Amino acid sequence: MAFSAQTEKYSGKMGTLTFGSGDQALTVGGQAAMPFCTFDGEIPHKPIVAMEVYDVVDPEWPAAVVEPFKDVINDPIAWAKKNIEEYGAKAICLQLASTDPNGENKSADYAAELVGKMIDAISVPLVVWGSGNIEKDAEVLSKVCEANEGKNLLIGPAVEENYKKIAAACLGYGHNVVSQSPIDVNMAKQMNILINNLGLPMEKIIMEPSTGALGYGVEYSYSVMERISLAALAQNDEKMQCPMINDLGKECWKAREVKLTEEEEPAFGPDMEKRGVLWEATTGIDMLLAGSNLLIMRNPKAVKLVEECIDELLA
Amino acid sequence: MPKPVHQVTFLPNNLTFDVFKDGENLLRVAIAAGVHINASCGGNGACGKCRVIIEQGRVEAEHSAKISEEEWEKGYRLACTCKVVDDLVVKIPPESQIDNSVLRKDLGQKQHTLMARDLNTLVQGVRINPAVSKFYIELPPPTLDDNLSDLGRLMRELKNQHGLENISSDYFLLRRLPRLLRQADWKITATLVYNPKGLKLIDVEAGDTRAQNYSIIIDIGTTTVQGQLLNLNASHEAEEHSVINELESDLLVASDAKYNSQVRFGEDVISRIVYSLKGDGLKELHQSIIGDLNEIINNLVSKSGISKDQISHLIVAANTTMTQFFLEIDPKYIREDPYVPTANFFPPARALDLGLELPDYIHVYTFPAVSSYVGGDIVAGVLGAGIFQREELTLFMDVGTNGEIVLGNCDWLVCTSCSAGPAFEGGGIKFGMRATTGAIEQIRINPETFEPMLLTIGKKKPLGICGSGIIEAIAEMLLVGIIEPNGKFRRELDTWRIREGETGWEYVLADAEQSAEGLDEITITEGDIDNIIRTKAAIYAGCQILLESVGLTFAELDRFIIAGGFGKYINLERAITIGLLPEIDHDKFMFVGNGALLGDRLVSVSREMAAEARKVAEMMTNIELANNMKFMDEYVAAQFLPHTNTNAFPKIMALLEGDK
Repeated sequence: MAFSAQTEKYSGKMGTLTFGSGDQALTVGGQAAMPFCTFDGEIPHKPIVAMEVYDVVDPEWPAAVVEPFKDVINDPIAWAKKNIEEYGAKAICLQLASTDPNGENKSADYAAELVGKMIDAISVPLVVWGSGNIEKDAEVLSKVCEANEGKNLLIGPAVEENYKKIAAACLGYGHNVVSQSPIDVNMAKQMNILINNLGLPMEKIIMEPSTGALGYGVEYSYSVMERISLAALAQNDEKMQCPMINDLGKECWKAREVKLTEEEEPAFGPDMEKRGVLWEATTGIDMLLAGSNLLIMRNPKAVKLVEECIDELLA
Repeated sequence: MPKPVHQVTFLPNNLTFDVFKDGENLLRVAIAAGVHINASCGGNGACGKCRVIIEQGRVEAEHSAKISEEEWEKGYRLACTCKVVDDLVVKIPPESQIDNSVLRKDLGQKQHTLMARDLNTLVQGVRINPAVSKFYIELPPPTLDDNLSDLGRLMRELKNQHGLENISSDYFLLRRLPRLLRQADWKITATLVYNPKGLKLIDVEAGDTRAQNYSIIIDIGTTTVQGQLLNLNASHEAEEHSVINELESDLLVASDAKYNSQVRFGEDVISRIVYSLKGDGLKELHQSIIGDLNEIINNLVSKSGISKDQISHLIVAANTTMTQFFLEIDPKYIREDPYVPTANFFPPARALDLGLELPDYIHVYTFPAVSSYVGGDIVAGVLGAGIFQREELTLFMDVGTNGEIVLGNCDWLVCTSCSAGPAFEGGGIKFGMRATTGAIEQIRINPETFEPMLLTIGKKKPLGICGSGIIEAIAEMLLVGIIEPNGKFRRELDTWRIREGETGWEYVLADAEQSAEGLDEITITEGDIDNIIRTKAAIYAGCQILLESVGLTFAELDRFIIAGGFGKYINLERAITIGLLPEIDHDKFMFVGNGALLGDRLVSVSREMAAEARKVAEMMTNIELANNMKFMDEYVAAQFLPHTNTNAFPKIMALLEGDK
């Protein structure tokens, strides 16, 4: 008798989200199976890696993420172009680190203008990420939305304390929102419900369930994301059916294991670049295996490794 | 089902509502019917805003300075002062409607208000046979031929005249026996107590005092202590069913309650146990609770006008920690892994030895416990709710400082306890209070103007808000869209009542003019709402995990009994709206008020019930939530209004979505 493989059929499927405009627009999500399980159901859109650029760089960054960009590191637009032209970035994430009130505290108007120039300069969809300061992000990101009306950006992160302003601006000016929650499957759903209640449809929301780097809670992120996927697919929970994004570059490149030199920790060996690249790539692949649709990453070699992995697993 | 005695039709909406009680307050009827009338003083007639016109029918109403003679003639009345004694047609004049939307959007939904007296069929066949009984005896005086000792003589006659044998006694009784017998001319009343080991003679009084047989029952809660004085003599004549009927009981002579003074040593049992471990801590905590009991006992005695000599028995139900503090037993190991209490079954103690200001012959019956966190109060509640008598699958939920949940029927019982916090008793709520006079217990909020309509206990100006009021307030705020499902205010709404106060964002229920004297205002803060959400989430998740642990779901329950100090009422729809209760058939719910007192009362009137209590305690299997991974998960899921799992609340979700 011929062998027939057992397959899983799910009652639900993940929704899709499209960001960027015109021919450049990208769609993520829509899978009807667990990650890479194409034999169980359709996975219509490949996971995407968005390469990040910063408007101000922390001097603590290891050489492995300074070297590849050292000629453009003070110019986020040139950096983005280099990511696209030289490293093949399919999407860009602009990290508005300079707006942090504990840092340079640059204004919302500055940020809005920078985003506008970035949109004009690049040919791929754009993710705009705030500094993580709750009040300032509300101000900065809503201004970014307003000044770039109709550009269908992906804007975030919106958290419980500031989602109203950010999600309302996304709704009003035609953008998508990142709904971020603190590593808990129920809180992720609660954020989706709250944002959805404002009138933003589920297909304009992407979840960031809080990302832990390898060695720094990656297993928590993994299990929460896997449960989100199962709730969306197996339980057909429509408030869980929006795709997922992971802001992992900044988590990986501040890990102790990535920053320590051989003198400080001889057991780690001399090749700091390889160590960092593998740290970021491994975290990225973990997130993909947990169900992520969109990764924000920093190092071009790590991005390449992850993209190869995606291509191979979906081949 | 009871039959309606009157019907009230409200105009201009032409909405008719049944009234089940003659003399019911008209404002209360309006609230139940979902008709919005201005009312901000809690219903005491002070604000004069709830003006209505009685178009047809007759009401009993007081004259008010707020209504002119001319208006009175036209039928104007203040709804809060009207008693419904007839079928009525009531017109709400424009000035009493906050706007034209007098009709609530959810009016299709019938309001179910559960009152504590809905339960007079809970326990069947209670034989009235108090554990402490009095027997009148006329002794033949001793002679040279019949020279048996005084005590021997008394025992002989108890056997001859009442058939009672094998009776033990206390030595202290002997000290006064010889004189007492002779002064009484050998006509005496003996008080005997039945305990598992047999009979014990505890008191002898001159003459026939059988008519004076009282007991005191006490519920020691972590936050609230409640007591009642019962007339056991009345129990012989009382109908079986009314014995456990709180409001109409012939037994009840007086009741009293106060906050547990141990609160000053810590809000919860854990912090009090920690305190008790230091120096004289245990003694201080013991004396504190004994002080509360003495205060309650003295109040009961003075309220009822009896003397302490007429009291025969004291019955106490409390959680395990409170029981140990009451008996001055070191509670240290309750808190430490593996969480073992000193005893589950407590031997009778003399009230006097514990420091209670009661005569020396009075013994204390203490309800048996199940585990460190499921105590005698729950055993009493399960007993009082009659779960042990029925096949029906019942969930019993007691909402105190800890939420205790019992599931089962006459064959099996499982229980658990979750740390809920005292929010429903008013603890940790800015203007929270116990369900006493002046507490806001019913609230409606106008969906267009966000103006509230308040009713207080005793219809006085509001002093604060009790458990049932808090449930209504949060449910109403959610339904009219003042708060989001995460309990945060919609700050952008156009009303002065939502504002940023000293402790964060808040909703003003009553301003200085509307509140009781000495209060600047009464508000509900985001912090209060957070507290309630956490509390209700712990309780709901506890119920869910307990059900899951035996492979059941809410849908399979036949009966859902709620006990706790919320207040006199629970509005079922509102309790479901906030996700405190599951969305199941309304007829399955019952509210019994204070569950511990219910069991206390049974044991007071029937010695067989003490044996049942023991059986109940032995039958219960305790399930620990502390090490249950799924509990934390369900707890977080329940921290949303009504719940993150919206599929479990389809009717509430439809209502909320309809409101948008």
